[in-house]
Amino acid sequence: MQQPEIESKNGATTPRVVPTGVPAIADTGAVSTTGNLVLQNLEVFYGGFRAVNNVSLQIESKSVTALIGPSGCGKSTLLRSINRMHETIPNATVRGTVTLDGVDLYGSHVDPVRVRRVIGMVFQKPNPFPTMSIFGNVASGLRLAGISNKGEISAIVEDSLKKAALWNEVKDKLDEPGTSLSGGQQQRLCIARAIAVRPEVILMDEPCSALDPIATLKIEELIRELRAEYTIVIVTHNMQQASRVSDSTAFFSMGEDRGGYLVESGRTPQIFTAPTQQLTEDYVAGRFG
Amino acid sequence: MSLVRLTASDLTKAPSGRDARRRRSDRIMRGVMFATAAAAVIPLIGLITFIAVHGVPFLSSQFILNSPLDKEPGISNAIIGSLQLTIASIIVAAPVGIAGGVYLNEFASPRISSAGELLIDVMLGTPSILAGLFAFLVVVPALGFSGWAAIVALSVLMIPVVMRTTQEVIRLVPAGVREASLALGIPVWKTTIFVTCRTAASGLLTGMVLAISRGLGETAPLLLTAKGTNDTEILNFGSTMNAMPIVIYRYAYAADKLHIGQAWATALVLLVIALVLNVAVRFRTINSRVA
Repeated sequence: MQQPEIESKNGATTPRVVPTGVPAIADTGAVSTTGNLVLQNLEVFYGGFRAVNNVSLQIESKSVTALIGPSGCGKSTLLRSINRMHETIPNATVRGTVTLDGVDLYGSHVDPVRVRRVIGMVFQKPNPFPTMSIFGNVASGLRLAGISNKGEISAIVEDSLKKAALWNEVKDKLDEPGTSLSGGQQQRLCIARAIAVRPEVILMDEPCSALDPIATLKIEELIRELRAEYTIVIVTHNMQQASRVSDSTAFFSMGEDRGGYLVESGRTPQIFTAPTQQLTEDYVAGRFG
Repeated sequence: MSLVRLTASDLTKAPSGRDARRRRSDRIMRGVMFATAAAAVIPLIGLITFIAVHGVPFLSSQFILNSPLDKEPGISNAIIGSLQLTIASIIVAAPVGIAGGVYLNEFASPRISSAGELLIDVMLGTPSILAGLFAFLVVVPALGFSGWAAIVALSVLMIPVVMRTTQEVIRLVPAGVREASLALGIPVWKTTIFVTCRTAASGLLTGMVLAISRGLGETAPLLLTAKGTNDTEILNFGSTMNAMPIVIYRYAYAADKLHIGQAWATALVLLVIALVLNVAVRFRTINSRVA
């Protein structure tokens, strides 16, 4: 097996502040740009139930990080706490910190609505707005954020659809409803919609689990392309997918109290070929989960 | 009785014994269900035919276009009155009902939400004459018999209809649609109005039409409020107003054949207006994707 490929760009010497006690998921010395996420002692609750237990994790900028683990281990919950979507559920709370480029996203002065503008999300089931056209779907985030310049909106829509590898398929039918597209196209539409508001980070919650294999491959290809511009965190059940698309992988499991915890994290090839924990090895070998 | 193992050659034989009985009871049950379905529809068709047969001979353009005070008396003032009262009432009832329904579904705590639903159920079950009585006791002493009083009574009846339909259609909006909007960094109030309600828009429209249909046919509250008149009142809600149900009620009691016939004809006009309204909305909603 090859050594993990390490991306690095010349002249990149910006020092990166790594909080002590946080295992660096991939301390590669790569370029430090914006979009660095650090989770510290994160605990996520549904009422009294602790669904995620004390997770500390550093997520590298402009790369793909996969969260894997058996069902119910809190991967999606953890993901949703990163852009503060978790708290839209009644009685759902978060303890610990999530910082993006040093800014505590749970700080008292931080507006969750703005956090979600910076950290976009793509869901398991493609969820285009049913009453909006293809164009309208991509434009929705901009329009509802108060942008009214038509030229600006159409430029961003075109750009986003191109980035989401959907432009060629839909450029002649932008006025058709978003729901008229196939499942895979709808998911790329949702990615375009997320890109349109120019986030730093894109969270993906099992984005391919409702798609057929060909659509899945297209999305995976897209994820690898998007990594150049965005920090991507993807939850997946599919270990092959994690190994295909991600640079780093974090493996979670469920504790005795049914709360999820981080078992280990590292470069993807290392997690899949030389994990340090027996549990990880059993999981990636398909012996449980 | 043990199960007989069938072979392919058995399939060509006419069924016997249990299979034959099963076939027979299947056919009988199918007949019974068709009959009950027909029993539900036949009175409705009968009613419409009856109204048409009695009403059509008295229907003419003068009847629709003339006022009761014209030489060839008609019911134009009642048609105009009914439309004005219903539209004014829905203008009051729709915002209140939609906002209330959205609140109960999207924002209220479970306790308030179930209390609200109970209240809607009670209001939906309220006999319309009580709404009339309420306006009669509260508004009529202040403003007299008037369009305003009728609007109060009708909107009291319409609000729960709009509210209930709003709740039902908002509930049909998939949670993923709201989440998608919130995850784009769109504030909750914008998500509610521009995404959730917009997704349910055709359903909200249906609720309004249901409420209008209900308002169009109400008689008792109008008798206690708008009272009826032979004058044509346009946007003059301070005065007594005429409406089609009032005409039907009054003319049906008349001693002469002409008025009784005109009552039938008015019923037919009312029926057609309600039908057109409902069919129009059905066409609109059939073409939309949600609710």
